[in-house]
Amino acid sequence: MGFRGYFLNRIAIAVAVLFIVLVLNFLIFRVFSPYDPTDMIIDPDFEQATKDRLRAEWGLDRPLFPDQFVLYLKNLLTWNYGRQFDQSKSLIAPQMAWRLRNTLLLLGTATIGVILVGIPLGILAGSRRGSKTDITIIGAGLFTWGVPTFFVQLIWLFVFSATWNSVFGAPLIPRSGVVGLPPPEGLLETLKDVAWHAISPICTLIIAGFGSWALYTRNMMVDALTEDYIQTARAKGVKGRDVLFRHAFRSILPPVATMVALAIPGIVTGAIITESLFGWPGIGAWYINALMNRNHPVAQAVLYNYAVLMIGANLVTDLLYGFLDPRIRVGQRR
Amino acid sequence: MTLLKVENLTMYWEVLRGYVKAVDDVSFSLEKGHSLGLAGESGCGKTSTALAILRLLPYNGRIMGGNIIFNGEELLQMNDQRFQKEIRWKKMSVIFQGAMNALHPIQRIGDQITEAILLHENISKKEAVDRASKLLDLVGIGAERIDRYPHELSGGLKQRTVIAMALACNPDLIFADEPTTALDVIVQAQVLKVIKELQHKLNLSMIMISHDLAMIAETCDEIAIMYAGKIVEYGDVTTIYKKPLHPYTQKLIKAFPSVIGPKTELATIHGFPPDLLKPPPGCRFHPRCPYAMEICRKKDPQSAKVDGKYHSVACYLIGD
Repeated sequence: MGFRGYFLNRIAIAVAVLFIVLVLNFLIFRVFSPYDPTDMIIDPDFEQATKDRLRAEWGLDRPLFPDQFVLYLKNLLTWNYGRQFDQSKSLIAPQMAWRLRNTLLLLGTATIGVILVGIPLGILAGSRRGSKTDITIIGAGLFTWGVPTFFVQLIWLFVFSATWNSVFGAPLIPRSGVVGLPPPEGLLETLKDVAWHAISPICTLIIAGFGSWALYTRNMMVDALTEDYIQTARAKGVKGRDVLFRHAFRSILPPVATMVALAIPGIVTGAIITESLFGWPGIGAWYINALMNRNHPVAQAVLYNYAVLMIGANLVTDLLYGFLDPRIRVGQRR
Repeated sequence: MTLLKVENLTMYWEVLRGYVKAVDDVSFSLEKGHSLGLAGESGCGKTSTALAILRLLPYNGRIMGGNIIFNGEELLQMNDQRFQKEIRWKKMSVIFQGAMNALHPIQRIGDQITEAILLHENISKKEAVDRASKLLDLVGIGAERIDRYPHELSGGLKQRTVIAMALACNPDLIFADEPTTALDVIVQAQVLKVIKELQHKLNLSMIMISHDLAMIAETCDEIAIMYAGKIVEYGDVTTIYKKPLHPYTQKLIKAFPSVIGPKTELATIHGFPPDLLKPPPGCRFHPRCPYAMEICRKKDPQSAKVDGKYHSVACYLIGD
């Protein structure tokens, strides 16, 4: 099988998996769900005719297959997501765009931050195995990894908002929201204000999230550095830093790249608790609300986006792996 | 001309419970163009000796004393930068054991050889690549394989790559640390042939580390038998094989089966090598030695010359 065959095979598998996900995503909410979406809007004691009218409004009176399923597929595959299950039947797409922007700003930055902090710390710790630096990084990483994210965030808010307020008369950081009230004038001022509001959730996400990256990287580095080929490199006279990056880190790059690729889908689902805690109107908070309010199309839309990215990231990883590690290149020179 | 002279080299591993006396008072010298075999069972300090000379000891290796004189220069006094730039790999290099792992798995073999050249010599990338191609031809891999990755090569070809890499800067001395382990017998023979050819063609000086006495007999001029961190017998290969004097050497040679002749039970040496954290007092071999005398338990025998230029033995049975 040549590279072309391998590539087409991967794509075919990805499409098949996406289809299965789409079917399950439909079945779970429309068929298996024990909840009637009208429950949250209409008092269950109302007569059936009223409920049926609302169900008809939402298109739930039509047969599941093909009508509902085809509409569902069409809505998701064209990324316009359809309408919400609420009184106004508002469109999902504009909300999704706005919230996605907020979430990308928050989680995108935090994910990049976590990677940029975690991996170098892991390399540092791995290269000085057993030293105080190593022990400190392991300890800090394990601690922040073990402590729930919201706990770190509560402490953060307690210190910089509540305590700061009682000591200095005003909180250091904004308590919640994306922009202050009233919103500042001008683009530059707005951007500055948004950044100022984003600092707290981003910093806490990095503090709570860097540990796993640092520890994974550290352990892989420790393994890589005890390999014979590292001794060969040192013996050849390769300088310390080059041994670390060009030889040891290069050899663990494939799994690290996989970790990075698989972290990307999380960016669009948002951080549910973080967004709720900091009043950040992103996807995560919206998704939880949608689930609780039986607003199924929104939940389905969020899950669909996540699945698409997850499948895409896996596909990219498969291809990237072959690029980064010649040992798994397929269908080349034998 | 003496290329390398090691005098009373002592290297201990520092561990929690004290020092493991891995290399104790080891002395030998090597003439230019000659080959020396360091032989002995696992854990006797063969590789540790080489690592100590090459300054490749892990963090807990401590050189406790001795002199290493290479080309008339005292190596132990030299600073690390100069050693790294001008001595290691430039003047003395290593063929590591286990070629399977000695090469970086995701770098092209040509790049790995070129890297070694460029680190030590001020020549252009192109010249380095040219030389790498020549080296690959020299060891019988063929220059056309320069862009291959290690996983695309067989075990024998990988080992040849490691040899080519060791030759990258035309070193005066090569340490070969078990260059044929992990290879099957036929490939071993091929790799040995390459090594022997190179010895002739390039007039290489070599220190061959192996537990395989036959291999040392085939490739070396002199042999040093090590036991528990010490050299117990030293001499030219023929003398040692024909007339081994130290009881350990005698038993070691007997422990090698002969392919020719009737099947006999393999001779073994009873007991185990000592724990080098607390080596036995006196001669380190005395607990396993059938001829052990009172003095062997008390006083460490010194190496003494016997008939001829090279042959020396550290045993009370010999000489006075």
